[in-house]
Amino acid sequence: MLATADAKTIASVQTAGMGQAVMGRHAESLVAVLGSCIGVAAYHPRSHVGVLAHVVLPDSNGRSGPPAKFADTAVPYLLELLKAEGVNSTGLTVKIAGGASMFASSGPMQVGAANIEAVGAALAKAGLHVAAQHVGGPKGRRVTLDCRTGELRVEIAGVISAIL
Amino acid sequence: MTQVTNDNRVELLHCFFSAATHDASAAMCRWTGGLISMQLDEVCEIPLEEVCAEYDFGDGPSTMIVLSLQGELGGDMILSFDDNNGRRLAATLLKQPLNAAAEWTPLEKSALMETGNILGCAYMNALTRLVGTQLVPSPPTFLQDYGASVLQQALVAQAMTCEKALICRTRFEERGAALDWNVFFVPSDALRAAMQDALDN
Repeated sequence: MLATADAKTIASVQTAGMGQAVMGRHAESLVAVLGSCIGVAAYHPRSHVGVLAHVVLPDSNGRSGPPAKFADTAVPYLLELLKAEGVNSTGLTVKIAGGASMFASSGPMQVGAANIEAVGAALAKAGLHVAAQHVGGPKGRRVTLDCRTGELRVEIAGVISAIL
Repeated sequence: MTQVTNDNRVELLHCFFSAATHDASAAMCRWTGGLISMQLDEVCEIPLEEVCAEYDFGDGPSTMIVLSLQGELGGDMILSFDDNNGRRLAATLLKQPLNAAAEWTPLEKSALMETGNILGCAYMNALTRLVGTQLVPSPPTFLQDYGASVLQQALVAQAMTCEKALICRTRFEERGAALDWNVFFVPSDALRAAMQDALDN
């Protein structure tokens, strides 16, 4: 795909790394590759502005760090980003994906499930309803938010599994 | 961005991972009849948000063998191939022609998992010797998934306490020529601390 795309197309794709949030408009696409992390996509259909956060952990417990890293700080941060662009939370469409439990680890076994729950709670606290979700399971996901349409494409192992 | 040369602590940890890679390479060489060896590529501390961009796994899924450390000192080892290279290794080990079918056979998976087991045990035995605490890897898991997803999953434990990920990457060679295979080792914070203590003492 990249081999035939022009520079404008390449520049229109932004990737959210771990703990990052990215914003796009109109023809831009926002991408994240997720394991136990959650991709939180918020989209305003009238202004065609979207944001995507790559949430790593459920709770900041008051510690500092990139705001999009934790569920409890990521949701307010996304709203701040949108507000700074003149987009308020009324009419936002929110979709989430990720939260897999991929392989046995000596680390936190249930972090995927904890992330799903914490993101849901943070969104509810902010008065936001989850319009669609594709969460859990044992496999990683690549999610792409199309800022023209607000569609969230979810791929598992290279195969499109859902359009939310 | 990547801090490899200017960080003394990371350079000291490099000694540990060099020794582990040396032992794993010897085991790999024996297992493949002298065909495949390993070289330590880099040990780096990198901001979590840059991991995806730093390690480009490509658009499609990779074939991976994952071993997780059991016990107090955790960590994950990920042996990653593109699909063709994984198939080629399995065919070589099984002394069979390359399998062109889409699905991996149980025998192919088993050959790759055994490779991960041999490599992982040699690697962990070397680290055990250096750290002074027994490191026991889990049975290997065969995965076909996004490499970035699996690496990020391995980094979650580190992400709980710090903003930078410590990653050790090892490359493979076939009779001196580079192969598109990698081993990523991601120690837990506890293992990082144990390695640091061992270095200090």
